[in-house]
Amino acid sequence: MDLERNISARDSILGSIREHLVASAPHDGVHAEGSEEIVTHLEMTISQPNGAALSLVEIFKDNLEAVGGHCIVARSEPEVIAALRDIIRGLLMTPLRARRIALSNAPTLEPLIRQTEIDVDEIAVCPSTAELFDYDVGVSTAQAAIAETGTLVLDSESEKHRLVSLVPPVHIAIIEATSICLTLGEALAAVRRGESGEVSPTITFITGPSRTADIELTLAIGVHGPQELYVVVKEGLQLTDNQACTV
Amino acid sequence: MSNLTTETFDANARAALGDVQLRGALRNATSLFGKRRLAAARGLDNWEELRTRARAIKDEVLLHLGQYLEEFVSNAEHCGAKVHWARDAGEANQIVCLLAKEHGAGKVVKSKSMVTEEIHLNAAIEAEGLEVIETDLGEYIIQLAGEAPSHIIVPAIHKTKKQIAELFTAKLGIEPTDDVDKLTSAARRELRQRFAAADIGISGVNFGVAETGTILILENEGNVRLTTSVPKIHIAVMGIEKILPRFADLDIFLKLLPRSGTGQQLTTYQSLITGTKRKTEDEGPDELHIVLLDNGRSRMLAHPVTRQSLACIRCGACLNACPVYQQIGGHAYGSVYPGPIGAVITPQLIGFSKAAHLPYASSLCGACREVCPVKIDIPELLLYLRGEITEGPERTRQEQAAGAGGSIKRKIGERLAFKLFAAVMTRPRFYEWSTRGARLLQHLIMRDGKIGRAGKFLTRVVPPLGAWTNARDLRPLAQSTFREQWRNGLAAKPAETPSVKL
Repeated sequence: MDLERNISARDSILGSIREHLVASAPHDGVHAEGSEEIVTHLEMTISQPNGAALSLVEIFKDNLEAVGGHCIVARSEPEVIAALRDIIRGLLMTPLRARRIALSNAPTLEPLIRQTEIDVDEIAVCPSTAELFDYDVGVSTAQAAIAETGTLVLDSESEKHRLVSLVPPVHIAIIEATSICLTLGEALAAVRRGESGEVSPTITFITGPSRTADIELTLAIGVHGPQELYVVVKEGLQLTDNQACTV
Repeated sequence: MSNLTTETFDANARAALGDVQLRGALRNATSLFGKRRLAAARGLDNWEELRTRARAIKDEVLLHLGQYLEEFVSNAEHCGAKVHWARDAGEANQIVCLLAKEHGAGKVVKSKSMVTEEIHLNAAIEAEGLEVIETDLGEYIIQLAGEAPSHIIVPAIHKTKKQIAELFTAKLGIEPTDDVDKLTSAARRELRQRFAAADIGISGVNFGVAETGTILILENEGNVRLTTSVPKIHIAVMGIEKILPRFADLDIFLKLLPRSGTGQQLTTYQSLITGTKRKTEDEGPDELHIVLLDNGRSRMLAHPVTRQSLACIRCGACLNACPVYQQIGGHAYGSVYPGPIGAVITPQLIGFSKAAHLPYASSLCGACREVCPVKIDIPELLLYLRGEITEGPERTRQEQAAGAGGSIKRKIGERLAFKLFAAVMTRPRFYEWSTRGARLLQHLIMRDGKIGRAGKFLTRVVPPLGAWTNARDLRPLAQSTFREQWRNGLAAKPAETPSVKL
């Protein structure tokens, strides 16, 4: 029954669209001047940010910090581990704690966190949804980043990122400097997969910690998502094979 | 929705104007967002080009809406989504309720969405005995208070933190506090349990991409991500006009929407959802249902002027820029969509007989057109709709005859007045006589050389006179007109040459 209803609703909506577009055709001669033409005529000039002297990493860092995220640039694996150690130690002294740490399924993460040798209660890879609500920190990588907005781009086919980057009060992301794109447009091109340009079931863009201004326009950080976002940018090291920004 | 009339609008607007707290909140919000929008737009050196381009893309979609919808549906279904078509609000609500029943669902979480407000989905779900919780902080507040949103982007803009604190103390049992962080974390704690227990998550859609079947939702809080990730079933309700042709088009719209709405470069989160998970062990819902809603939208395609309404991306910039909205806020409009865009889409969605006053709730100053990221000519639309209302097509007149009383009588009076005005203005002799007559008659209502507050009788006979003189004097007509002075010798006088000394 529902199938029948759905088909008849589809037909009547598409019919109504056709009928009303036909009705508008005489007026369109006067008003619009062939919109298809407009589109092809308007080739976008993509504006490059000024200051080519700044590296992508620096632009990314500036923009991320402008929205309340933290950014640490590391030049080697030991530096990444040291940065993670500092972050977690710092958190242990705050009410946010960092006693229970959840990791995404990116294989590089567990060795890195273990090597920080910090005494925490638990380090778990991809806990269940119900369990995740009790974790203090979520750690993931990101498949790309956008320098001009300070944005992380996470792709569900590369990594189970959806909940670990969202549910715990703290999100730590470790990214490759080479995966940083300059513009949003480049990142949108980078997430297309294969020749057909397929898109993964879920792609998440993250720009800073969760925020709201719904009460008297007063900014409050960490309403439903993480209150703190740390991004460790690793220069000159491959985390996994498939993570370089391909544009 | 109850009938919206000029009378209720006037009463609502008057009440809002008397509400000092509301006007303070509106002033803060609209000026803050206005400034942020401007700063964000100036941050891009091709803002105007982006607006033009965005509008061209929207026009392209709307002129070929049928094809793009079919492409979107086929790609979304190829990736595992199930698409449902809904002709109207009733059908959309029925689809959602049937899905809930089929899955034995009892608890629903929802993220903020104007389209579900439009169809009054919550009431329909609750009528089926299910629980539905709004999870956007602002929407949650007004749901607890039993109110409606008053702004597209900041739904609880009309409430103070003191009122919210009292509400939370009463409904959530928290300690009284005026600390915004404490109020926010109280809502977070409460809503986390709801997310964990929910069977269905319902969201809106900002953009649907025909090329890939992707839906994209923007937000700042993270509640959309929780709504679309935690429950087993995700239902996304979208208007048929939300389609973009190509995935790459998102670039332009993601630059325009956050900057126009909140002045952000990008909102905190964008969820790009393309069908369902590919492997059962993956994260996310098992099922994705997309409800495509018409509800009066396809009708707007029938003329290029009204078709513009469908280009709207619901950023709220026109609300913040509108001098009328700035003074009276969203509730006075009495419609789900407030402000300038609400004044043009509401009458088209629910019919002129129910919202004939809304196109008049504007001073036609054009600020909305200036800020619109997709260049909708809202003043043009307002005038077009006013025209349709006063001497519109057969459909409108029939609708009017069937339904609305008082406001229509006034429209007929207005029509006659303008007919008379046109007759006078197009005949020079006639014009001169009537000026002379008016000059004589004005002495009847002049006091101390000016026309003061018009009495009740006059106000009834000539309503605009009453409205004008209510708060200020009207200057009387001059003793002689220019034409008379000209005939009486002005033409013969030599023109004084302005003396310029070097």
